[in-house]
Amino acid sequence: MADPMVFTSSDEAAAMPEVDPGRVREAPKKYQGLRMFMRNKAAVFGAILLLAILFVTFILPFFFSGERTERVGSIHLAPGAEGSTTFGTDYLGRDVGRIVMQGGSATLKVAGLAALMIVGIGTTVGALAGYYGGWVDNILMRFTEFFQVLPGLLFAIVIVALYGPSTTTIVLAIGLIAWPTIARLVRAEFLRQKNLEYVKAARAIGSSDARIIFKTIMPNTLPVVIVQSTLVMGSAILFEAGLAFLGLSNPKDLSWGFYIGANRSYFLSNWWGVTFPGLMIFFTVLSLSLIGDGLQDAANPKLRGR
Amino acid sequence: MRSETPLLSVRGLTVTFDNFTAVNGLTFDLFEGQTLAIVGESGSGKSVTALSIMRLVTLGTRAKIAEGEIIFRQPDGSTVDLVQADEAELRKIRGNQISMIFQEPLTSLNPVYTTGNQVVEAIRLHQDVTKAEAYQRAFEVFERVRIPEPKKRLKEFPHQMSGGMRQRVMIAMALSCDPTVLIADEPTTALDVTIQAQILGLMRALQNETGAAVIMITHDMGVVAEVADDIVVMRNSKLVETGNVYDIFENPTAPYTKALLASIPRLGSMKGKPEPEPFDLVDMEAP
Repeated sequence: MADPMVFTSSDEAAAMPEVDPGRVREAPKKYQGLRMFMRNKAAVFGAILLLAILFVTFILPFFFSGERTERVGSIHLAPGAEGSTTFGTDYLGRDVGRIVMQGGSATLKVAGLAALMIVGIGTTVGALAGYYGGWVDNILMRFTEFFQVLPGLLFAIVIVALYGPSTTTIVLAIGLIAWPTIARLVRAEFLRQKNLEYVKAARAIGSSDARIIFKTIMPNTLPVVIVQSTLVMGSAILFEAGLAFLGLSNPKDLSWGFYIGANRSYFLSNWWGVTFPGLMIFFTVLSLSLIGDGLQDAANPKLRGR
Repeated sequence: MRSETPLLSVRGLTVTFDNFTAVNGLTFDLFEGQTLAIVGESGSGKSVTALSIMRLVTLGTRAKIAEGEIIFRQPDGSTVDLVQADEAELRKIRGNQISMIFQEPLTSLNPVYTTGNQVVEAIRLHQDVTKAEAYQRAFEVFERVRIPEPKKRLKEFPHQMSGGMRQRVMIAMALSCDPTVLIADEPTTALDVTIQAQILGLMRALQNETGAAVIMITHDMGVVAEVADDIVVMRNSKLVETGNVYDIFENPTAPYTKALLASIPRLGSMKGKPEPEPFDLVDMEAP
């Protein structure tokens, strides 16, 4: 097999003077999840892309001195032009590269927190509705539908406009509109799983409801939740960018969406001001989608060892 | 007959699904160390009876225990009516004093945990022991159910095991807390014949070792003849006949039991006949 993980383990085995055949066979098993993920080349590309984005956003800025909002030259200088920077300057003569580099920190923070909140609310509501059924299911699902039929972006705009564009309100706004998808998925999984024999068996050994929901069934719904949460994170990034584009974000963050919004009036003469932050949003969402796809294979133990 | 008090005494058990009666006034006793077989065709109420004893029957269905009592004698000598007991009480009994083995070994283990973890969890639910001690106990029960290489098997996931091996894990899990009653709901139906014989032999050996009483639910008369001391024949949700397995096999009184026993093909019984002959319908009303 031309699998990199296999090479690693046999290298280890070769380093040991006496090779116990059982060990050589055992070793790769530990990394089966990782191996499944590595086999999906698109997912590996996505992971590398995301790591690169995280590096650029959170680590690279430390290698630059001075404020990113400082003026570095005259305005609207094209990338590579005389006296310009690699990524050009904007309408205030700031370096587009520096601003876009750090613009992700606010976006990624908001998207991460929102995704956590979405997964938290979604799995809890979905699990309770699916497991208990009956009137609990009825009430929770009507509640879910209420949030599902709300026009998402409009509702988020209203919340942020009412309570001001802070990280908390933006996270809450995005979290409140996006959880129904996860809730419905988790509910469907619970409806399917709760009648399987292993759940009956868990009850037969004396497990309580809480234990069955969270320890017995929940891990079995994780493949669905993990995949969906990477997609949710992608859409949270798009939501944040949309809100910021409309000016509903902290202007000091200079996030990607906000920066596109700020540069949009000069688009015809200054293409680089909107293109680079736009590409960053695009690549971030793409990397998350690709990772989600790879995780789906890796999280499913039944696919392992194939 | 026996003079001691029964371990488990089912009295007039009636279970209904909306308007349909799945079990109708069933009464039987289970004594210590006894193997009781409940036999009957599909839909006769055997499995519902088993699930009622565990009080698992009402879960996610419209089933209701309409009447009757199930008196269980606990190891400390006190008795409890399982029909009236609340969830907390039941949780202490389930898996600890009464455990159950299911029909489908392929789906009755949780796919995301190693088999060892699942047995450890069953032990730690009922016993106040550390994880390491529970692991040691799991190792011992794995050995007891004759799982080869128990140390390695403890770390394996269910999908890495064969059906027979998974059923052994289920039995290990059921026995991990030394229950006094073991309910086996068609434990060998999903297994092929050689594995069936192994599992039945194992269950009989384990019963001798642990002294647990076993309720074996089956429609297979071969299984009954193999393991049972006593037999309860059910049909159309009612008790047809009950008694010692030798008496019933030798001298069945109810016409249905006679027909049931006659339906087992014997070597040479089809000699000279081109195909099996249909049976005369037994009177539905008469027991």
